[in-house]
Amino acid sequence: MDSMDRRSFLKTAAGTGVALAAASGPFLENLYAFQTTANLSHVEARYYRKLPDREIECLLCPRRCKLGDKERGYCGVRENDGGTYYTLVYGKACARNIDPIEKKPFFHVLPGTTALSFATAGCNVNCKFCQNWEISQSRPEQVTAVDFPPGEVAAAAEASGCPSIAFTYSEPTVFYEYMFDTAVEARRRKLRSVVVSGGHINPEPLDALAKVVDAVKIDLKAFTSDFYKTYVRGDLAPVLDAIKLLARRKTWLEIVYLVIPTLNDDPREVRKMAQWILKEAGTDVPLHFTRFTPMYLIKNLPPTPISTLQALRRVALEEGLHYVYTGNIPGDEGENTFCPSCRTTLIRRRGFAVETNEIKGGKCPNCQNPVPGIWA
Amino acid sequence: MSAPSVVIVRGRGVCPRKGEIAAPVLARMYDRGIGLLTDQADTAAGLRALFSPSDRVGVKINTIAGRELTSLPDVTLPFARLFSRIGIPEKNVVIWDRTNRELKAAGYPLNAAGGGLRILGTDTAGVGYGPEPFIHRSIGSRFSAVLTDLVTASVSFAVLKDHGLAGVTAGLKNYFGAIHNPNKYHDQNCDPFVAELFDAPPVRTRHRLTVLDALVVQCHRGPSYHARWAETAETLVFGTDPVAVDAVGWRLLERLRKGKGLPTLEEEERPPRYLLTAERMGLGRAAEADIRIVEDEV
Repeated sequence: MDSMDRRSFLKTAAGTGVALAAASGPFLENLYAFQTTANLSHVEARYYRKLPDREIECLLCPRRCKLGDKERGYCGVRENDGGTYYTLVYGKACARNIDPIEKKPFFHVLPGTTALSFATAGCNVNCKFCQNWEISQSRPEQVTAVDFPPGEVAAAAEASGCPSIAFTYSEPTVFYEYMFDTAVEARRRKLRSVVVSGGHINPEPLDALAKVVDAVKIDLKAFTSDFYKTYVRGDLAPVLDAIKLLARRKTWLEIVYLVIPTLNDDPREVRKMAQWILKEAGTDVPLHFTRFTPMYLIKNLPPTPISTLQALRRVALEEGLHYVYTGNIPGDEGENTFCPSCRTTLIRRRGFAVETNEIKGGKCPNCQNPVPGIWA
Repeated sequence: MSAPSVVIVRGRGVCPRKGEIAAPVLARMYDRGIGLLTDQADTAAGLRALFSPSDRVGVKINTIAGRELTSLPDVTLPFARLFSRIGIPEKNVVIWDRTNRELKAAGYPLNAAGGGLRILGTDTAGVGYGPEPFIHRSIGSRFSAVLTDLVTASVSFAVLKDHGLAGVTAGLKNYFGAIHNPNKYHDQNCDPFVAELFDAPPVRTRHRLTVLDALVVQCHRGPSYHARWAETAETLVFGTDPVAVDAVGWRLLERLRKGKGLPTLEEEERPPRYLLTAERMGLGRAAEADIRIVEDEV
C-alpha cells in the first residue's frame, strides 16, 4: 500500500507535467517515447438508455448527458462507444491512501479508526473552490492510475487494519460501478463502506447504492440555486433530494458545509438551511462547518475567519440541530461531540485525531442518552 | 478595419471514393486557397505573409469522431509539408490533438521525436498539460503544452460538423481539444465558452490561420459520424478571421442541411450563438454582410 501523504500522491498522480518539454530547448528533441498515461477500463455503465443513431442518455446524475458516438459526459470518465455507454475508470484508482475517518469528515462513524480511501479521475460538477481539482477536474488520461479492482481494495483494507473503505477525494458518483462493486465486496468481508459525495446523483442509482454502503457524507455547498449555478455548475434541488432520500432510508448521513467568505456565509441563509435539515433529516444529522482555504479558481478570497465558523455553528445549534461541528480549525471546541441532553463531552478531538471517546454502547455514559451513529 | 477575407475552394474530384483523396487536386486547392487569402501569386509567398521561417507551427486537428470523420492524414500531411517551402523544417511542424489513442484510431502514424513532421497527442510522455489552471473569463483550464510550450504559431485545421449542443463545430471550437477539461464547457450551447477559450492568450496569441475541412461534412447528428447525413462537399475554407471563417462554415452547413431537407439550426434552437459572443468580444466578424467571401473551384 502506498504510504505517501494524500497531497503528495495527488500531485504525483496528476502531474504528467511539462518539465521535459520546457527543458528540452530545441523543438521536441528530447522526446523519446510514445507512451501514454492512459489506463482506461471498458466496463459497461449501469444507468443509461440507448437512443436512436447510436446516441445514449446517461441516467446516473441529474445532468442526463445526451451523447453521440465517441462522446463523453460532463464527468469526462464515461464514453459512448458505438451506442453502448462505458465507464473508463472501473478499477482505476488515481489516488489511494489510509486516512483517519475524521478526515472525510465522519464524526459519528467508527471514531478513531482509519479508512482505506481511494478515488478515480472525474467529477460531475466543477466547483471553483475544489480542493482536489487535480484529479476531480481531470480526464482519466490526464492522471496516473493504478489497477485496483474491488477485491484488491477490500483485501488491502483488511491487510491494513482499516475497518472501512471510503470512496472520496473526487466524486464517487462518476465511478459508481466501481464503488458499488467494492461496497458489495467490503460487506462480504464485514468491512464498512462510506461515501463522500456532492450528492449530485439521480434517485434510482442512489437508492441502490444506499443498500450496499453504510454511511454517506454529502457536501451541501450552499443553500441557494444561484450559488450552485455560479460556483458549482450544478443544481441545488437534486442535492436536497439526495439528502431527503438518504434520510428516508435511514442511511447514516453527515452533511458538510464549506464556508466561503462573502459567497455562502450569510447567517440568514445558513439558518434556513439548518431549518430545512431539521425538517427533512431530523435533529441528529451531524452538520460540519468547514474552513475554506484559497484554491483552484478562487484564489482571491481569504481563508474563512474562525469567528465566522463559530457563529454559523451557533446558528445551527439555535435551530435545534444536536451535532454541529467546526472543521479545519484544530483545537476549536466545535470539533468535539457533546451529549445534547446533559452536555457531557463525549468525544474530544484535535484535528483528525480522537483524544478521548466516552461513548459506551452508543450512549452517553452520564445520562444514558442514545448517541446516533455507527460506533462498532 | 477592412472586411476580412474568407476563401472557399471547391476541388472537383478531390474525394473520388470514400476515404480516398486525389492528391493533385488537393494540392491545387491549397495553392488556390492560400494564394487568394493572402493575395499572393504563389503559396510560399502566401505562407510567408502569415508565418515566419523561425516559427514552430502547430496544426491542431480534431480526431474525436474516429477515422470516418477526421481530417485524413492524406489531407493534413500535405498541408503541413507546405511549410517547408518557407524554410520551416518539417521537424518544427507538429500535427496534434488530445490523445495518441484518438490519433492512432484516426489513422495517424505517431511521430513524437523521429525525423520529419511530428504527430503527437498531448498525452505523449513529457508533454502533458500545464500544472496550474489558466483562468480567463469563465474558463479555468490547463492548456496543452503543445500549444503553450512547443509552438509559436497555430493553425486550427478543423472538420466542419453539425454539433448537437454547439450547433456547429469548426475552427474556434477545435481549440476545446487544447485544454484538459473540454467536457466542462458544453452547457448553454457552449456559449460563451468557445469564444472565451479562443480569447485566452495561449490560443489568441498563437492562432494565425483556420482551415475548415469540408471535404465531407456531417450535416446532422454530429459531431459523431452518421453516413446518412454525411455529405461529400469537396470543399476547403480558409480564413485568418477565426470568427468569419466559422460563420461562413455555418452557412455552408446550413446550405447542405437544406439540400437534405433538414430544418435550420435556428429552427432546432441550436444556432452557434458563440459566434455572436465572439464578435462582441472583438475576435472577428460574424455577420455575413461584414465578411468578404471569395469562392473558387479547381
